[in-house]
Amino acid sequence: MLIRKRPIDRAHRRGILIAGFALGCLLSATCVPIAAFAADNSTQATSPNTNTPPTANTSPDDNAGLQAEESDPLEPFNSAMFTFNLKVDDYVLHPVASGYAKVVPQGGREAIGRALDNVRVIPRFANNAFQLRIPQAGTEVARFGINTTVGLLGLFDPADKWFGLKEHPDDFGLTLRYYHVPTGPYLMIPFFGPSTVSDAVGRVADGFMNPLSYFVPWYVSLAATGGQTIVEAVNYRSLHLDQFEQADRYAIDLYGAVQDAYLQDRDNRVKELHSGAD
Amino acid sequence: MRTKTGTHSLALKITHATFATMLVAMLAILTLDRPARAAGDAMDAVKGLVNPAVQILADKTTPLKDRQVKLRDLANGYFDYTAMSRSALGMHWKDINDQQKKDFTDTFTAFLQDSYLSRISDYSGQQINFVGQSDAGNGSTEVKTTIDQQGGKAAIQVNYMLRQEGGKWLIYDVTVDNISIAANYRNQFNRVMNNQGFDTLLADLKHKQQGLEDQLGTQHSHD
Repeated sequence: MLIRKRPIDRAHRRGILIAGFALGCLLSATCVPIAAFAADNSTQATSPNTNTPPTANTSPDDNAGLQAEESDPLEPFNSAMFTFNLKVDDYVLHPVASGYAKVVPQGGREAIGRALDNVRVIPRFANNAFQLRIPQAGTEVARFGINTTVGLLGLFDPADKWFGLKEHPDDFGLTLRYYHVPTGPYLMIPFFGPSTVSDAVGRVADGFMNPLSYFVPWYVSLAATGGQTIVEAVNYRSLHLDQFEQADRYAIDLYGAVQDAYLQDRDNRVKELHSGAD
Repeated sequence: MRTKTGTHSLALKITHATFATMLVAMLAILTLDRPARAAGDAMDAVKGLVNPAVQILADKTTPLKDRQVKLRDLANGYFDYTAMSRSALGMHWKDINDQQKKDFTDTFTAFLQDSYLSRISDYSGQQINFVGQSDAGNGSTEVKTTIDQQGGKAAIQVNYMLRQEGGKWLIYDVTVDNISIAANYRNQFNRVMNNQGFDTLLADLKHKQQGLEDQLGTQHSHD
């Protein structure tokens, strides 16, 4: 019923989707061995078992096994990049986002965030499809069609509001985890923040799924993607202006807090994917 | 098609519910001769904490400081601070002496209390939903709650991990959007222990707790 309400530029979009899907398939074939090579089984960046209750009446040694520290072989590099990212945020991103927040009202910034999210449909569609989550992949197509047209280029989300079609976030890093490709060590990427080796590979693979890169010269698409990324970062930060202040208020070691939150979140998301949750 | 699926899953749910009720009833009969257990289940315990907390927070006629004292007293009966401290220090717990264990537990308890108070002082009447509870293995139960957000944002998931201690359900971990607080502090503390040692950890913890306390504008009784 809802699916039948197809957008007008169906053929065009289908072309892009098929191209993205095919290229995504090609990339998946090349990236999996790369990630497997880069990743070392002994340095899996996963968060330790979280929900096992402490047993008060037994010796603390009993807990040692399940409370092992998170391995972080790239810690010297990560630590330096973490400091670098905090400085970039402190001197550039936060001031720019604050100024932007003063000019554009919150509702407008939320709409811009939705529109930027809308154009990232191909990696979401492709990765849901890679994981054989076909209904979810189909929902992404329907959402893109409805929101791009009725939702005015994705500024609004009538697909969710009117038709109850929720977004299914997914990325290539999750696809690699989904198929048990080792994550490799925790990695702090300059400008982009917390990641792992396999999530970084996934980020590049998802980047290649940008249809623009196949229609314009590489330097144009790179500049456009870079511009889009910067706008996204500023827009996101403007909607979360006190994020670091909040985190720092409750953190004893901010690096450790961010690292663990990232790894727990990625672990949880792949667990949800495995459990077949929406 | 949607309706059909909906009806189908509803029927399934009803069947499950009926079956679950029968199982619970059978278990209740089987366990009647066991020693008296805690009054109520894990969900009742979480409701016993959250519902009065919300009332205290909403009561604007009482001065802020009195409300904070009330909240702290309330929370004391529901959190297993010793277990949380052990869990957060992880494998380093066995490496410190008894006095250090006591100092750490006292400081971390005060820190957790002030963090909790500081977080919920932001509370402004959002709807809290008690979603359900499930067995989390090893005699512990997970109680799921959500806090609705304004402006169409996704609700925050706050889950409480509880187990029974002396016939009483106590919270030993809280997850916020599925991030375990105990595990998050364990990673932080592990780094400080490895890089700087226990004295620095204790000093940092005291410093942060003091900051939170000053911000709350309350006197903290170290008892």
